Amino acid sequence: MKKLTRRTVIASATLVPVAAIRSAAQIPHFAILEAAADRILPPDDLGPGAKQAGAANYIATVVAADQPFLNNLSLIDDESQKRFHKSFVDLAPADQDSVLTHIESTARPFFARLRQLTLEGMFADPSYGGNRQFAGWDLIRYPGPRLAVSPEEQKLRDPIKPVRRSANNAH
Amino acid sequence: MPIKLKPVDVAIVGLGAAGGVAVLPLARAGLKIAAIEAGTWMNPHDFRPDELHNNVRGLLTSVPKANREVPTVRDAPGAPTRRGAIHPMMNAIGGTSIHYWAQSWRLNPWDFKTRTEVTKRYGAAAIPRGSTVEDWPISYDDLENYYDTIEHEVGVSGKAGNIQGRIDSAGNVYEAPRRREYPMPALRGSGFTDLMMDTAKQLGWKPFRPPAAINSKTCAYHGYCDRGGCHINAKNSTAVTTIPAALKTKNLTIFDLAHATRIESAPDGRASGVTYIRNGKEYFQPARAVLLASYTYENTRLLLLSKSKPYPRGLSNNHGQVGKHYFGHWQNGVTALFPFDINVWYGTPAQAAAIDDFADDNYDHTGLGFIGGTTLQPHTEMHPIASANMNTFGRAPSWGAKWKAFIHENAARHTSAYMQTSAFPYEQTFLDLDDEVRDPLGDPVCRVTSGPKENESRAVAYAQKKMEEWFRAAGAIEVIRPQANPPGVSTHAYGGTRMGDNPESNVVDRWGFAHECPNLAILGASVMGTSGARNPTLTAQALSWRTADRLIATWKSI
Repeated sequence: MKKLTRRTVIASATLVPVAAIRSAAQIPHFAILEAAADRILPPDDLGPGAKQAGAANYIATVVAADQPFLNNLSLIDDESQKRFHKSFVDLAPADQDSVLTHIESTARPFFARLRQLTLEGMFADPSYGGNRQFAGWDLIRYPGPRLAVSPEEQKLRDPIKPVRRSANNAH
Repeated sequence: MPIKLKPVDVAIVGLGAAGGVAVLPLARAGLKIAAIEAGTWMNPHDFRPDELHNNVRGLLTSVPKANREVPTVRDAPGAPTRRGAIHPMMNAIGGTSIHYWAQSWRLNPWDFKTRTEVTKRYGAAAIPRGSTVEDWPISYDDLENYYDTIEHEVGVSGKAGNIQGRIDSAGNVYEAPRRREYPMPALRGSGFTDLMMDTAKQLGWKPFRPPAAINSKTCAYHGYCDRGGCHINAKNSTAVTTIPAALKTKNLTIFDLAHATRIESAPDGRASGVTYIRNGKEYFQPARAVLLASYTYENTRLLLLSKSKPYPRGLSNNHGQVGKHYFGHWQNGVTALFPFDINVWYGTPAQAAAIDDFADDNYDHTGLGFIGGTTLQPHTEMHPIASANMNTFGRAPSWGAKWKAFIHENAARHTSAYMQTSAFPYEQTFLDLDDEVRDPLGDPVCRVTSGPKENESRAVAYAQKKMEEWFRAAGAIEVIRPQANPPGVSTHAYGGTRMGDNPESNVVDRWGFAHECPNLAILGASVMGTSGARNPTLTAQALSWRTADRLIATWKSI
């Protein structure tokens, strides 16, 4: 029986994002993925959207070999062509939202996964390729991974000064 | 043919929370022990504050063995089975005590004598229909000494509420008498848990800080305790407490990365040793006594897989009781939204405000239609992905600009209480081997058959209303009470090798030894016949130490 060692399990978790960041844009339909994630968590006055935060880079590392997921991305474009005779990435934001609302109701498990992956790309440790400049953590006031936390950092109401640090670079 | 090793006194399968405790008294008594453990050592460098790694992907384990044999679940015989994504257990020296919440509660006397106590107070009809619950063959008093031993040998922090009958309202006033104070003070509170403590007092309840196998003098409260190991060894897993102490005696040899496949038995019905695979080779470790400590699901599975002439239906299963009387805690926490930042990002789940007012039989159940109860524990530790994935309480859509604005405002303002509702064994709830799903060696995985229960559903609903009352009194503006759902594959899984005097309905005797196989003992929550409304580990550990003591005391005749 082939046994994975602790070392290879750990290594696969940390090395994948780093290696995959360079090739992220090479997965099929990357532009659609990026645009769709950017409507799930759009840019506005509150801060960057998923695109600027690099969430799609993270997602691409997860779905690169997932053909059904990639096929579903092309469904988004098919629906855009059908409704607006344009590619999804060229649509106005409101039209993109109407396409995604349709996908959400007709391809529910796919959309749920896309949303979950967008959350991971936005709010996971930045070492995985998303959450650039800690945009996700700033959005929800998560003050970052600390190795020790004082009573003063556990008070009600008081904002805590964020530490801008990746857990995987901290060790 | 397996390679036959030199015989040892004791072979133990699994070096986790239960097995990792039992080896210490055995080694101190001079017995030579071979521990067969699927995982290996982990060290503080393996433990990162990384939610994706620990919680989303469940990668904190030294080998993925457990994740390749995740049990299947179905509601009833014939119903379709479903499979969990990840196993609740991990493989390592120290096992799941590395990444558990470390909550270390004693059971209450009522939990040991549920059938008698319920019948006495409410009549025999109050026992849930179809339940196979029995009194334990031992009482709280029989275990008190061992609870005390574990609290001091492993290291449990907490505040006593009842020392030899002297009640102290700073601790849990509902706990049974203990001989002395905890060896370390309770974990500190946070702004949020202090608010909940004060609110509970205003409601007339009796809040306290729950006990934890965490060194309260060194804990860094960094917020990655759940499914994470401790980077400063403040969590008192057996990997940093009892196992190193046992190794110092030179009487314990650990065979790590070793996959136990069968417990063998001799024609006379005695256990003869353990077969395992290590580095692609098959070994047989003969032993005078075998201890099985591989967690509830694997304990049942290994016994059922270990068929032999004396045990054609699986080891120690000639009475058909292996896998029976299985149950899991019901955990259906209530979620709340506050109009201010509650700041629960850091801390640890055991940094909680707990109440026992609605647990076990601590309140009158007349007319309620159920027995048992729930501990309520608002607590700290929240991670960013899970937090952003929060319930929107009907106030926002689930994506887009309005959702973004909602989580911006509220991700730091919501929490779910940890609630454990006592569960009971039933005729139609059991473990066996799956018909189809197999592990990489070709052995069937464990299958859970567990359907809805009226008693437990009512108990959950009752406790959820109390939790809503508590949250609202503390200022919550939204509260959600989720539907009561039975547990699937659980970290709080009990039974399958239940302890009892009657071999017709129990696998092990009052000491933890198999009725049918006198030199086989079974460790872990799989021997427990009731759960109480609190975490199982301390009780499983106390029972393990007690079984080890029994083995030492009866060694000459074993």
